[in-house]
Amino acid sequence: MSSVLLSVEKAEVVYKRAITAVQGISLSVRDGQIVALLGTNGAGKSTTLRAISGFLGLDDARVTEGAITFDGHRIENRPPHEIARRGVVLVPEREKVFQNLTVAENLAAPVPRAADKRRLEDQIYQFFPRLADLRGRVGGLLSGGERQMLAIASALMCRPRLLMIDELSLGLAPVVVQDLTRRLIMIRDQLGIAILLVEQSAAVALSISDYAYVMENGRIVLDGDRERLNSHQDVQEFYLGQSDGNGQDSTTARRSYRDVKQYRRSRRWYG
Amino acid sequence: MQLFINIIVLASIYALIACGYVLIYRVSRVLNLAHGELMMLGAYLVLATASLFAGHPLVALGAAVLLSIVVGAMVYVFLMRKMTGEMVLAAILTTVALGILIRGVIVLVWSAQQQYPAQALNLANPSLTLVGDGHISLWSAVLVATNILVYGALFGFLRFGRWGMRMRAAGQNPLLAAQRGINLHTVYALAWGLSTLTGALAGILMALDSGVTGSMPIIALKAFPAALVGGLDSLAGGLVGALIIATAEVLLIYYVDPLLSDVVPFLVLLAMLIVRPWGLFGTREELDRV
Repeated sequence: MSSVLLSVEKAEVVYKRAITAVQGISLSVRDGQIVALLGTNGAGKSTTLRAISGFLGLDDARVTEGAITFDGHRIENRPPHEIARRGVVLVPEREKVFQNLTVAENLAAPVPRAADKRRLEDQIYQFFPRLADLRGRVGGLLSGGERQMLAIASALMCRPRLLMIDELSLGLAPVVVQDLTRRLIMIRDQLGIAILLVEQSAAVALSISDYAYVMENGRIVLDGDRERLNSHQDVQEFYLGQSDGNGQDSTTARRSYRDVKQYRRSRRWYG
Repeated sequence: MQLFINIIVLASIYALIACGYVLIYRVSRVLNLAHGELMMLGAYLVLATASLFAGHPLVALGAAVLLSIVVGAMVYVFLMRKMTGEMVLAAILTTVALGILIRGVIVLVWSAQQQYPAQALNLANPSLTLVGDGHISLWSAVLVATNILVYGALFGFLRFGRWGMRMRAAGQNPLLAAQRGINLHTVYALAWGLSTLTGALAGILMALDSGVTGSMPIIALKAFPAALVGGLDSLAGGLVGALIIATAEVLLIYYVDPLLSDVVPFLVLLAMLIVRPWGLFGTREELDRV
């Protein structure tokens, strides 16, 4: 079995010294593994990513308990550029490309060594040939899908060992998402990069991940491999929008019985 | 012809100073109100290096220029770095305090009397005759040439240089730049170093032409409207803004009243702020207030 690349041990994140957003979560990502972090809005997924990538300081937040270890080094509360240089690179949910820089400049800006630029660019254009045609176009003029491609591509230019993607599918057409997930699997297979995917769409995340964690109210309430989560009743009911076991289609029922379900879910998970 | 030469020389002075404002604002959105004092410090540093390297004027000038870059980077490392993540207003007020501090130090070390670095370096300043019976002093001509070189180098650096690209990236989206492994502190220190270098070049060349006194920062204050008129985040804007301000100033001095010279840049600035507050080539920023 491959070695553990990222390990989050009982991490707690506190905003403004008062609000606990993440409560003692533990998760791990192995070399070359695709791991998904699922959950609804406000579950603490993005905070977890920000804690790993070192961006809590900007929001007056800190990892107050526990440890985040990457490749044997403690990285919690370290500056973002230092974490990125260790090989943990984040593709954020919004503002993911430099709007006024061309595609080529977006790719060139993060390259640590000038000598690597050409080789890395060629590699990137193999995964995203569309970007080669758009080389001279500024980031602000790209479509949503092209922007997501460029964001992933420019993250790859940092030569990451762990690529973290916040909401891969947000605002994109299903066909584009399908194309992106196919390319992500290619990237993982060919470059051996581990991927930590934060997604609201469980269907997308579970279609490509090897392992997944479900977050709720700042805690991890469920985890397991893809098969286990795909067949788990709660995941099917609350995240995949499949039948809730009473013959009722929960995609419509969720709207009217959302609160009841939330209660049932909490009771089941927290005991 | 002389009118044209005067405009070009004044525009070059303003442009060389204005690009210093632009470099820092573009990268960090901080208005460096100590730029004039840093420019003046560059001129006074020539006096210091002139006594250190007596008989080697070029070495003395080179050392002063290098020291200016170091001073700029140190201002960031020891002062402005602490302002990262704080309110922009706090950073701007810090630059005001820094300016007052530099003025005080200069008076203490070099006195408030007018000084002539060209004499200290044994450098002459002959008048050159140009076509059309126009005249220009040697150091003014050097200033115009330096301005062209500096702008050419800065355009090339920002467009094609790796660190220039990183400066543009950090100016647009510092968060994303950090996520891509770009060390923002290095980028900001570089911007401060370059900004102080351009200011110091202007200060040194003006001092070689006509001496230096404690009132030199007023010229930088007049160059500030040039940066604003062109657009505070546009390098090309600084050049165009400087040309507009210099043209208006020289023409009004020549045809109306020399006493207007200190007022003209700010009149042009007021007009621009009413019509186009973000300047000719600046980025229109979204404001969260009216």
